[in-house]
Amino acid sequence: MAGGQVFSGLRIIDFSWWVAGPHATRILADFGAEVIKIETKTPHVYRMNGPWRKHGIALANQSQVDSPNLSGTFNNQNRNKLGMALDVKDPRGMAHLRSLIALSDVVIENFSSRVMESWGLGYDQLRALNPAIIYVSLAGMGHWGRDRDIQTMGPIVQALSGLTWMSGFPDLPPAGWGYSYMDHLGGYAAATAIVSALYYREQTGQGQWVDISQTEVGNTLLGAEVLEYTVTGNTRTRNGNRLEHPAAAPHGAYRCAGDDRWIAISVFNDQEWQALCEAMGQPEWTRDPRFATPSGRVAHQDDLDRFLEGWTCSQEDYALMELLQGHGIAAGVVQNGVDRFLRDPQLKERGMFVTVEHPEMGTSPVEAVPIRLPEAPATYRRGAPLLGEHSAEVLSRVLGLTPEEIGMLAQDGVI
Amino acid sequence: MNPRQTVGPLTGLRVVELADEKLQYCGKLFADLGADVIKIEQPGGDPARRIGPFYGGVPHPDRSIPFWYDNTSKRGITLNLAASDAQRLFRSLIQRSDVLLEARPPGYLPGLGLGYEELSQEHPRLVMTSLTPFGQHGPWKDLKISELVSMALGGPMASCGYDDHSVPPVRGGGGQGWHVAGHYAFLGTMMAVLRRQASGRGQWVDCSIHEALSCTTEGAAVAAMYEQKPVIRQTGRHATVTPSAPSQIQCADGRYVAGVGWLRVTDATWEQLVAWLGRDGMAMDLGDPRYRDVAVRAAEAGHIGEVLEAYCLTHTAEEVFRGAQALGLTWGLVRSPYEVVHDPHSQDRGYTVRVEHEDLGQSFQYPGAPYVFGVSPWGVRRRAPHVGEHNEEVYCGELGLPKERLTLLAEYGAI
Repeated sequence: MAGGQVFSGLRIIDFSWWVAGPHATRILADFGAEVIKIETKTPHVYRMNGPWRKHGIALANQSQVDSPNLSGTFNNQNRNKLGMALDVKDPRGMAHLRSLIALSDVVIENFSSRVMESWGLGYDQLRALNPAIIYVSLAGMGHWGRDRDIQTMGPIVQALSGLTWMSGFPDLPPAGWGYSYMDHLGGYAAATAIVSALYYREQTGQGQWVDISQTEVGNTLLGAEVLEYTVTGNTRTRNGNRLEHPAAAPHGAYRCAGDDRWIAISVFNDQEWQALCEAMGQPEWTRDPRFATPSGRVAHQDDLDRFLEGWTCSQEDYALMELLQGHGIAAGVVQNGVDRFLRDPQLKERGMFVTVEHPEMGTSPVEAVPIRLPEAPATYRRGAPLLGEHSAEVLSRVLGLTPEEIGMLAQDGVI
Repeated sequence: MNPRQTVGPLTGLRVVELADEKLQYCGKLFADLGADVIKIEQPGGDPARRIGPFYGGVPHPDRSIPFWYDNTSKRGITLNLAASDAQRLFRSLIQRSDVLLEARPPGYLPGLGLGYEELSQEHPRLVMTSLTPFGQHGPWKDLKISELVSMALGGPMASCGYDDHSVPPVRGGGGQGWHVAGHYAFLGTMMAVLRRQASGRGQWVDCSIHEALSCTTEGAAVAAMYEQKPVIRQTGRHATVTPSAPSQIQCADGRYVAGVGWLRVTDATWEQLVAWLGRDGMAMDLGDPRYRDVAVRAAEAGHIGEVLEAYCLTHTAEEVFRGAQALGLTWGLVRSPYEVVHDPHSQDRGYTVRVEHEDLGQSFQYPGAPYVFGVSPWGVRRRAPHVGEHNEEVYCGELGLPKERLTLLAEYGAI
């Protein structure tokens, strides 16, 4: 049996500061990769994002935030990583960074498309430092093409890729995604690229550059819709929570008792429809001949949805879910974060929320990684790095700098 | 360059995918990266082939467009796992493979004597990944889901929708539940493959769709963990604990710009923004020096929003988007997924790929690479397989089954 974790001994230089890049390296760090976050000495705005916690106590507002190391958002995204704060404009800072890259396996960055080149760290220079390096660039529009300079954040990628347009009701404006879905999926694509490039390097010894346009990733996530269009010329728009292929009805979110509580229900065939009727106690309206066949239910969905919601709206959501599941119907509460964190018995049983120790925040919660490798499981070794916490440690351990040399760098403000 | 002649990063990896609608996107990730993915379907073809829309408009198992998209680059064989002769074939196929991907309900394969325990006894290096709604254990493990229900229980849906909470929450389109889970199943599998290089042993990866989605909700999870507060869904922007200003504006051509924000901009950018509006005489009073104070801008957010709205109403969305980007403002344009196909920037990057459907005497334009590998390219190696298209090639050519046996097996429904 090999000891350690899947990525023990793998060193990743991580220049990503917002969400997409860090989400990719978070997954690798959970499985043992040595991820070294390269930051500037001035904290990036993402480090300052609330909610905040200090020594176990929640801080109510930003005025109480007196350190760049108190963000729960940052902690959740960057647990298990090391952090260096470095002045790359100082020639010594850049020289040490280059030495570090020479001793690493992967470089990942999430900047707009000209930053690395402007630092003299484009792929050609990285390769000169380290021929086997795997370099992943993760910009909104990729590193080449006429619109490479378009600046994006998650919601902008969602808008440009078609995801925003495809979310919501047809007679309303796009609802879009209420969070940076594409920062997650951009991160998953980057992690996919890294593990695939690592596999290739193990077979051939060759490193390479992988360029990712998050907008293209987003578009591939609507691939079936795009292909329908290129094959048939047909375009479709957002359709709420309905499903046309395969045609299913009822298929939607229905109001339950309480404040803004909803349940999602999907019925695909006659058997499930009969089961739903039984669960409802066979009310009169279900005998309407319009609802007798799958095509009839699809054709009269507006009425069907109204009748069904007339029944769900007086019921408690979780009890209703249990009732419907007991009848063999796909039904689930529209769970918010608090539901998942405090109530969801499945996530609890499977330990999907864990804690890490953080020197300034205290014991703090983070999401577990949803990958179970029984022979080499994920570990949660430490909270997110303090700003510059490992600058000296990495320079000493990896590059062999003496305490005097490191002291000088600190004194001169390079680290 | 024809990608069929090139080597992808996973070339040489042999993957068996036991057909299931939830799993095929994961298999596609492997196949387009160069792995040899053999998809096993029930005789007559997987039910996913019955999901439209169809090429030619008429249902046909080899003409489902979503099936085409999710099954590129794979080979396809048929097998009835419940037939005893079939199990011998299945085992010998597994013997020759690195990875088994499956999505049967927990307990199903062990019930056939084909669980990880049995398979790994014959083939200790096997990596087996089970992708199920809730994982292999836990109180919800046997509940029924649809993609919609997975997005409800997992959390993405609660964050997506409209300011008006009489409208239900929505799940973004495109089947994202399966895409998110497919990425985690891919990553878990690849980690086990990489681990095997060191340990010599495979392992069983237990992947839960519910957990994968629950880790794909950004701020909703953090607000719950740190403040025990839900985030509130809003139209076309992030769900937040406390409401934020609208950021999606309709323009003169009816299209929308997204991410319209000005609070965080520097004073210099603010000046440029005002000058930009002023060129069309539409800056109203925003040139007043008092707006140079970020606190004033925050307090006057409603008024500033109205000025911007008026500007948008007299310009096309493309004009607003390009104009804002030129100032360095991270604003976006809500495009349909179809526009990405024709976008000159996509064409610069060679985003879409042509895939031959020689059976139809045609080729079609498919969404292309989510990641552009410099050395070992992503590529669509071939169109999705027809039902049982590679039975002879795999069973006779690779497993050494005499052709007469193949005919016999087909006759009694084993393949």
